[in-house]
Amino acid sequence: MYAPGTSLAHRLDPRAKLAVQVGFALAAFAHTSPRGLLVGTGVVACCLWAARTAPWEALTELRLLVPFLLAGPLVEVVVLGPPWLAPEQAVAPALASYRTLLVVLVAAAYVRTTPTRESQAALQWLVPGKPGRALGLCVGLVARYLTVLRADLRRTRTAMRARLGDRLPVHERIRLVAVAGLGRVFDRSDRLALAMRARCLSWNPTLPRLRFGPADAVALGLALALIGWALTPALAPVLASLV
Amino acid sequence: MIETRGLVHRYGESRAVDDVSLTLDDGAFVVVAGPNGSGKTTLVRHFNGLLTPDEGAVLVDGDDVTDHPVTARSSVAMVFQDPRECFVAATVGADVTFGPANLGLSHETIAERRQTALRAVRMDGREDERIDELSGGEQARVAIAGALAMEPTHLVLDEPFAGLDWPAREAVLDHLRRLEEGGTGVVVVTHDLRDVATAADRVVVLSEGRVALDGPPDAVADRLAEFGVRPPER
Amino acid sequence: MSTQEQSVDLVDAATALALARVALFAALAGAFAFVSFEYPLSPAPVTLQVLAVFLAGLFLGPVWGSVSMAVYLVAGAVGLPVFAGATAGVGVLFGPTGGYLLSYPLAAGVIGHLAHGGPSLRSLDDVGLPRLVGSLVAGVVVIYTVGTLGLVYFGGLGLEAAIVGGTLVFLPAEALKLVAAVGIARSDDVALD
Repeated sequence: MYAPGTSLAHRLDPRAKLAVQVGFALAAFAHTSPRGLLVGTGVVACCLWAARTAPWEALTELRLLVPFLLAGPLVEVVVLGPPWLAPEQAVAPALASYRTLLVVLVAAAYVRTTPTRESQAALQWLVPGKPGRALGLCVGLVARYLTVLRADLRRTRTAMRARLGDRLPVHERIRLVAVAGLGRVFDRSDRLALAMRARCLSWNPTLPRLRFGPADAVALGLALALIGWALTPALAPVLASLV
Repeated sequence: MIETRGLVHRYGESRAVDDVSLTLDDGAFVVVAGPNGSGKTTLVRHFNGLLTPDEGAVLVDGDDVTDHPVTARSSVAMVFQDPRECFVAATVGADVTFGPANLGLSHETIAERRQTALRAVRMDGREDERIDELSGGEQARVAIAGALAMEPTHLVLDEPFAGLDWPAREAVLDHLRRLEEGGTGVVVVTHDLRDVATAADRVVVLSEGRVALDGPPDAVADRLAEFGVRPPER
Repeated sequence: MSTQEQSVDLVDAATALALARVALFAALAGAFAFVSFEYPLSPAPVTLQVLAVFLAGLFLGPVWGSVSMAVYLVAGAVGLPVFAGATAGVGVLFGPTGGYLLSYPLAAGVIGHLAHGGPSLRSLDDVGLPRLVGSLVAGVVVIYTVGTLGLVYFGGLGLEAAIVGGTLVFLPAEALKLVAAVGIARSDDVALD
């Protein structure tokens, strides 16, 4: 979740930060080797430092992702037949899981330092015209209604437990929770659409201001370097043939 | 000034608003009262062109709202029932900014309007707070600020006191009174006159889509009950 | 005032409603990501996200259903905690489970197209049960095909392990959600005007 602050990463332009994320993801995929991931770990350390975020803080927020990361190596290590375990098969998925961890940590640095309105501004800059406006608007609405709908679902589950709903078959429990979540979605969207129209919902609003400063140029440089590094394995033969 | 001329709104066969002609002056505190289904919500949604008349016309400052929707919606701002369901952003500042940004105003003007609107409901300095962490009364005030940021000449509120405890009601009413003193026309839609009778200049009672009573609170008080409106306490 | 009247390009009522629905279904998928239920076959909890994909396709149709799931992915990518485990960020889309997520817009489109028999929306009451179930099964096929490829390419798993560990063990859980989705589409609990 976004945490207000004054770190270097907080002051960066959201577009530069998005570029770093994309560059890093590409580079991590192109260099999923122990050496490549070591370099990647260094970049992650820099990103977290710029966001004044301790690695364990970021990891605590992502702890629920851990089962997904462990699942890959675990599934692969088990063989259906003797000798039942094949640790060497787990190396590739383990590297992949570590790569994911790094990519997710870089993303965590973005998430912690970028308020939704800045992401909206970046989206509307990135996607021009009406689609960009619609995307920016919808992301803002998701930010608002995520907590509202989640509270609805929590209440439903509590009420169900109170009425011994846990004795119902699973698909029936799922259906009841879903109906509770969905039931008011149409009613809500009617009211919301009306409220937005009352406030002159338009295709051409004033967009939030974005400022690209010297620090952003450095971040963009890092992003470009990462993209360049990501492309080297693919481009190396081409370059070699040119030389 | 809001003017309806022979306004008719149909839902299928039934006439939710049936030949209503009203003139609402600037700077007045008007209560539109009536029981559920009397057509009061439908009527006020015509004031800024959110609905299209089946017959008749609605004019804001002399302009037909169907042809001038932007003018109508900036002049007649609206706060809907249960404002919790009508926020467009997760934080106070971002929500209040929504209206003025849609009008394409400059960043400076938008910031000024946000400041002024939030100050009017005593929520200034709380721009970065999350709306779902506010109390019901604070949410109601942010919703009013969101409407005020349009700098309207009239503010229409649909059942603004529903679900609020007594201190929150008093606070909201106090803000509405001050708005009226500042020259903004206030229109409150309600089925219960107890909260607003002391502030109102005029009460319009609807019954089955028609204007049944129209006058100062004292003049209509005795007949409110027969039209399903809870009268003020004496 | 009249200059403003000309310069402000208002969103029309129908589009405003469509955008509100798109956003609310995206938010619903995010809320469903928080509802997990115990499932013995999997090391990771099973969430209801896929049910939101089903419902988006069925209730919004192929076009807006697809858009809504794309908005869901973008909202997560820019940092709203909408993915399983309250995670967010571009990284999740490239993680082992990224394939499943990336398939959602396509799956919602396929479900909507098959259920409604074309790009336009019709009443779910007019959709026969076989067509309803068929469209959802097709959606599951899309999600798990792309999801399995994601496990292979993003997660580094072998194809066999990805199919067993990433698809087969989850199919019973998907069957439960499918039954629930059919129940919702068939009931009067939710009415679309």
